[in-house]
Amino acid sequence: MGGGRANDGLGLVTNRMWWRIAWRNLGRNRRRTALTASALTFGFVASVLMIGYMDGMMEELVSNGTRVATGQVQIHAEDYEPERSIHRTLGGRAGLDVGALLAAVEGQDGVVGAAPRLYGGGLVSSGDETVGGILMGIDPVREAEVSRFGSSLVAGRMPGPGEIALGEAMAETVGAQVGDEVVLVAPAADGSTGNDPFTVSGIFGVGVGAFDDSYALLELGTLAQLMAMDPGRIHEVAVSVERVRESEVAADRIREAAAAIAPGLRTEPWSVLQPQLFFIVTYADSMNWVVAAFIFGMAAFGVANAMLLATFERRREFGVARALGTSGLSVGRIVVYEGILLGLLSLGAGLALAVPLMIYIYENPIDLSRFIDTWSFGGSAVRPMLTVEYSVVGPLVSAIALAITGIVAALLPAWRAVRVPPADSLANR
Amino acid sequence: MSRLPYTWRGTAYSLFLGAVAVAAQPGPGAAQTDARVLEIIDEVDRLMRGESSTGRMRMEIDTENWSRALEMRVWSLGTEHSLIRVDSPPREAGAGTLKVENEVWQYLPRADRTIRIPPSMMLGAWMGSHFTNDDLVKESRIIEDYDIVISYEGDRDGEEVWEFTMTPKPEAPVIWGRIEQQIRKGDRMPLWARYYDEDGTVSRTITFSDFGSLGGRLVPTHTVIQPADSEERTVVTYLELEFDVGLSEDFFSLRNLRARR
Repeated sequence: MGGGRANDGLGLVTNRMWWRIAWRNLGRNRRRTALTASALTFGFVASVLMIGYMDGMMEELVSNGTRVATGQVQIHAEDYEPERSIHRTLGGRAGLDVGALLAAVEGQDGVVGAAPRLYGGGLVSSGDETVGGILMGIDPVREAEVSRFGSSLVAGRMPGPGEIALGEAMAETVGAQVGDEVVLVAPAADGSTGNDPFTVSGIFGVGVGAFDDSYALLELGTLAQLMAMDPGRIHEVAVSVERVRESEVAADRIREAAAAIAPGLRTEPWSVLQPQLFFIVTYADSMNWVVAAFIFGMAAFGVANAMLLATFERRREFGVARALGTSGLSVGRIVVYEGILLGLLSLGAGLALAVPLMIYIYENPIDLSRFIDTWSFGGSAVRPMLTVEYSVVGPLVSAIALAITGIVAALLPAWRAVRVPPADSLANR
Repeated sequence: MSRLPYTWRGTAYSLFLGAVAVAAQPGPGAAQTDARVLEIIDEVDRLMRGESSTGRMRMEIDTENWSRALEMRVWSLGTEHSLIRVDSPPREAGAGTLKVENEVWQYLPRADRTIRIPPSMMLGAWMGSHFTNDDLVKESRIIEDYDIVISYEGDRDGEEVWEFTMTPKPEAPVIWGRIEQQIRKGDRMPLWARYYDEDGTVSRTITFSDFGSLGGRLVPTHTVIQPADSEERTVVTYLELEFDVGLSEDFFSLRNLRARR
C-alpha cells in the first residue's frame, strides 16, 4: 500500500482524503492555528498596503510627470529632438493637415484627447523686467484634455487671440498681472525677430517648477503669427490616454494612425520621453517583490516554528500511520497540505482586512504635508500624501508570496514528519 | 588717431559703408604690425578723417531653413557711430540698429522696445544674417586687437595684390584664430577675407566684388559672407551711397533709433 502514485485510479479520492486530514489537523489546536495564521494575515495586509502605497506614490509621480503638460504620448518630427529647432515641424517645412492628424489620433482606442502645440523661445518683458521663457502655442479647448494648465489657473483665464497666460513664478518675476501688457521678443521662422505686445489673460500654477517658472501660453494662431510660422506647422501633438501605465500599447496604435497622415513622424510614450521617470517607476515595481520577500521571510520563520511544534506533538500519530503502511511521502504531504490550507485561511482573512483598509485609505488619504515637503524628481513631483493605488499586482504579489511562505514553512516540519521512525515513536523513545 | 583703409574693417564695414576708413588707436604692441602696413594706413588716413555717410542697401539671406531679403537705410560717422533702419519687408519695417562705440541697441517697432544687446548675445546673428552683432563693434578694433603683417605681395591671377595676415594679440578679446585678407594694390580694393578658427580651419569667407562708383567713390558694391561648412550665405548690395553728409554724433541717439521715418 502506499500513496496516490500506486493507486492511480483512486488518486483523486485519496488526494481529497489527505486534504481532509490536513484540515482536521489545523482544527485541533485552533488557538495556535489562529495565531500562526495571523502572522501570515498580518504579513499579507502589510505587503498589500506597502505595495499599494508605493503604487500610489508612483501613480502620482507619473501623473504629475505626464498629466501636467507632456501627456502620455507625443508626436514630433523625426529630427525634432534633441535640438528642438523651431524649423523642425511635423510634416517638414510644408507642415501637414493638423485637423486630420488630430482626428486620426483621437480615433484610436484608449485615447482621451490630443492637443497640437507650437513652441518658441523668447524674451518676456513687462515694464523694465525681462526673463527668458518658453512660448507654447496651444488650442485651449483641446489642451484641457491633455494638460493641467487650464485647470490650474490662479487668476484669469486661458489666452485668446492676442493674449498670453504666464506661469505663476514668471509673472511674479516680471511683475505682471492679469490685464497687464507684456512684450514678447522671439526669433521667428523667417529669420526675423518677432516682437509684439500681448495682454495677460491668466496666470497658471501647475505646481511643477519648470512650467511655472518659464512657460508662457499663447493661442496657437497668435504665436504662429509672432513666429512667422505658416498655418499647418506645429511642433508637437501631445496625447492623453486612459491607461497611463500602459501607454506603450496606445503609442503603437497612435504611431500607426499618424504614419497614415504624414511620413517622418516619431511617436513616443512617456517611458521614452521621460526616461528618468520611467526608471524610478520600473525600479519601484521591482521593489514590490523585495517588500513582499522581507515581510513574508520574517513570517515564514514564525510559521515554521509553530508547525514544527505541531508535528513534534504528533510524532506518535505519524508513527502509527507509518506502522500501518502509510508511505513517508504521504505523511509529509499532510504537513505540506496543512501549510497550504493555513496559507489559504490567512489569505481569506487578509483579503477581508486589506480590501476595506485599502478602500478607506484611498478615499481618505493621510496628509503628511505638515511634516514633509513636496519632493520633485525627473520633471515631476509628489505631494506628501499617504495614499494608495488600487492594483491587481499588489495583492497578487502578496498572495503568491504568502502561498510560497506557507509551503516553504511547512517543508522542514514535513521532512521531520517523514523521518519519524515508527518503532521508536510508538515505543515513546 | 590713425585710420585704416576700410579694407581692414573686418566684416561690418561692408555693412555700413563702402569706402570709409576705420578709426583705430594703435595700442601697445602696434609696433609688431608691419611698418609698411602702417604706412598704407597712414596714407589713407589723411584722406578719410571724420567721414560721414548715408546709403541704402539690400541684404539677402539664404539659410537651410528660410530665405529673406531686407532693404535698409544706413547712416554712419567714422567707424564708431552707425544707425541702420529697415524699410522692407513690411513685417520688419521700422526695425533699427544703433551702434555707438562698443554698444549695440536694437529697436523693435511692433513692441516699441529698445534692447541693448547684452555681451552674451554679441555673437548672435545680426538681423538673422550671417553677420554677428560682434561684427558691428569689432570692426573698429582691428588695429588694437591684431598684429598685421604682409604675408604675400605680388601677382595673383594677373593682379598685383597684398595679402595681410592678422593674428590676435595675446590678450585680445576676439574669437578668430587669424584673419587673412587680399587687397588689390592698384586701387586698394579688398577682394576677399578669410576667417580662421583657433584650430586654423577656415570658418567663413567674405568675398567682395562689383567694384563701382557710388557717391563719387570706388567701392565694392557686392559683398558675400559665407560660412565654411554650409551652403548658406548673406549677400549685401549697396544701392546708394553718399559721403560728407554732415552728420554729428548727436544724430546717433536712442531717440533717433526709435523715431520712425
